[in-house]
Amino acid sequence: MPDPGAGDKAAVRRYTPPAMNDDEPSLALLPAGLTDQLPPRAAQEAMVIHHLMATCAGYGYERVKPPLVEFEDSLLAGPGQSLARQTFRLMDPQSQRMMGVRADMTVQVARIAGTRLGSVPRPLRLSYAGSVLRVSGSQLRNDRQFTQAGFELIGTEALAGDAEVVQVAAEALTSLGIKDLSIDLTMPTFVPTICRGLGLSADESEKIRDLLDRKDAAGLEAIGGIAAKTFAPILAAAGEADTGLEKLSALSISGEAELLRAGVASLTEILKTRIPGVALTIDPGEYRGFEYESGTCFTLFAKDVRGELGRGGRYRLQNGEPAVGVSIYLDSIMRALPAPAPEQKIYLPADTPIDAAARLREEGWRTVQGMEPDSDSQASAKALSCTHIFSKGEARLLD
Amino acid sequence: MADSKIIMAVPKGRILIEVMEFLRAAGIVPEPDFNDPASRKLRFTTNVDQVDLVRVRSFDVATFVAFGAAQLGVAGSDVLMEFDYPEVYAPIDLGIGKCRLMVAEPSEMVDEDDPRQWSHVRVATKYPNVTRRHFAARGVQAECIKLNGSIELAPRLGLCRRVVDLVQTGDTLRANGLVEIETIAEISSRLVVNRAALKTRPKEIGAWLETFQKVMRGAAA
Repeated sequence: MPDPGAGDKAAVRRYTPPAMNDDEPSLALLPAGLTDQLPPRAAQEAMVIHHLMATCAGYGYERVKPPLVEFEDSLLAGPGQSLARQTFRLMDPQSQRMMGVRADMTVQVARIAGTRLGSVPRPLRLSYAGSVLRVSGSQLRNDRQFTQAGFELIGTEALAGDAEVVQVAAEALTSLGIKDLSIDLTMPTFVPTICRGLGLSADESEKIRDLLDRKDAAGLEAIGGIAAKTFAPILAAAGEADTGLEKLSALSISGEAELLRAGVASLTEILKTRIPGVALTIDPGEYRGFEYESGTCFTLFAKDVRGELGRGGRYRLQNGEPAVGVSIYLDSIMRALPAPAPEQKIYLPADTPIDAAARLREEGWRTVQGMEPDSDSQASAKALSCTHIFSKGEARLLD
Repeated sequence: MADSKIIMAVPKGRILIEVMEFLRAAGIVPEPDFNDPASRKLRFTTNVDQVDLVRVRSFDVATFVAFGAAQLGVAGSDVLMEFDYPEVYAPIDLGIGKCRLMVAEPSEMVDEDDPRQWSHVRVATKYPNVTRRHFAARGVQAECIKLNGSIELAPRLGLCRRVVDLVQTGDTLRANGLVEIETIAEISSRLVVNRAALKTRPKEIGAWLETFQKVMRGAAA
């Protein structure tokens, strides 16, 4: 896989590192998991965010911007609990209260929806984008700071809400040029519900959840008894949505678990017609990272891109209001996108008239102004990675 | 990485013969170079167009699969426990490479030692994460000395008193004056799958999993 930014010319230039000095760390060294984003990737990420926000704005989602840091109590309330170990804390010298740097923006948007925008008519559609900071990166995504973008539909329990969120996410990603998008539908409460129905202890349930999550058929068989018999076919149902749902409907499940199954089945039917180009899979055993969600959840993948592009699903606000939303991880998206084509830039020698330069920019050119008269303006243009030069009153392609 | 082939990582070493027998039963036979010790190749084609093999160290199989560099692999459950990669699924127990992950100490220590009083132990091991987790679960802090082999030598030479290591027959332990005092886990080789690969290529990967499962059932029958 080409390294992000491998399209840059810098990558082919030879680099001679400065002599090592053991005593003083290089000023270039950043803490683990933090990076400088350089051209052209920084601009590309900004464009991608703009595109994502514009797509959901087209569906009536309005942007909110919560602060980077807030009180720990509100940041880690409800669905935020699972992020406690991932949150950087700092003491607020003013209020003498503990604050946290956000590790996820969904919790903040949920807080806004439940409090400040609590009286706005429902359903409420909100979108957001911003940086989040985590105590440690994951094994797959080493980044500790990355950009999260997403949108939430609050105050409706309708299946049409789930469908809208998945559809908008899929549309946003495909229109960005991400190929072979694939959506995995999960129901994190399915297995625990069945475990309760079987009267299994909390320890047993947790073990079964882990085994199913890891697709460990051997471990499940080793448990034996009613649990193995019940959960083996559920494990086998993970895979393509159609065949998986068929396998699930052959099982005798009832009550809450059956409602969950039926929900995923109907959502699958709707999505098949709304986003026909997107592959759908189901995984009734998966729960990791969805510990605080309820109902149907989903994870976005693209073929040959390592890791998840984003995930979402149903949850409840602190006040019990139903919500469904999605978070997209920009670092994964950037890995899935090719480096942008080099920009067309025109070099303006120092003596270029101001109005000619302004006209070029109006025409859509990106201009690079020479600062001093140069003996070889062609060479200066190339050195500044321009594709064109302004010469004798017109734009000429550099050879 | 836009490679539509399925890459399978298999472990080097003693276990490889058994792994290759299993693959042959599943209908996968590598090109002749695979068995040629003089070959410098690292990646091998097979009789199946869609499947290539890479041969890597057993600890690296899990890493290749976790990062999606290989979609399938064969890894010991010891390695899976050590890395605990959330991106690796381990759907099939191949029933080969069976052994135990054990805590052992010099035989002369066993009598005078009361594990209930430990607050700290120093352990030589290839598995620092598993070891730390194992001891932490009972309130003991484990200081791990990471070694890559010949673990049994450590107590003899005074590097530490206890070891955590794989034991198959126990011969090596005995030869070095060590006694097994605790089993951490029963180990066997697992067929592993990259999570994203299973989600984005459910048909192809699913079909292979079914084939492998059939081979296992056939072997059990």
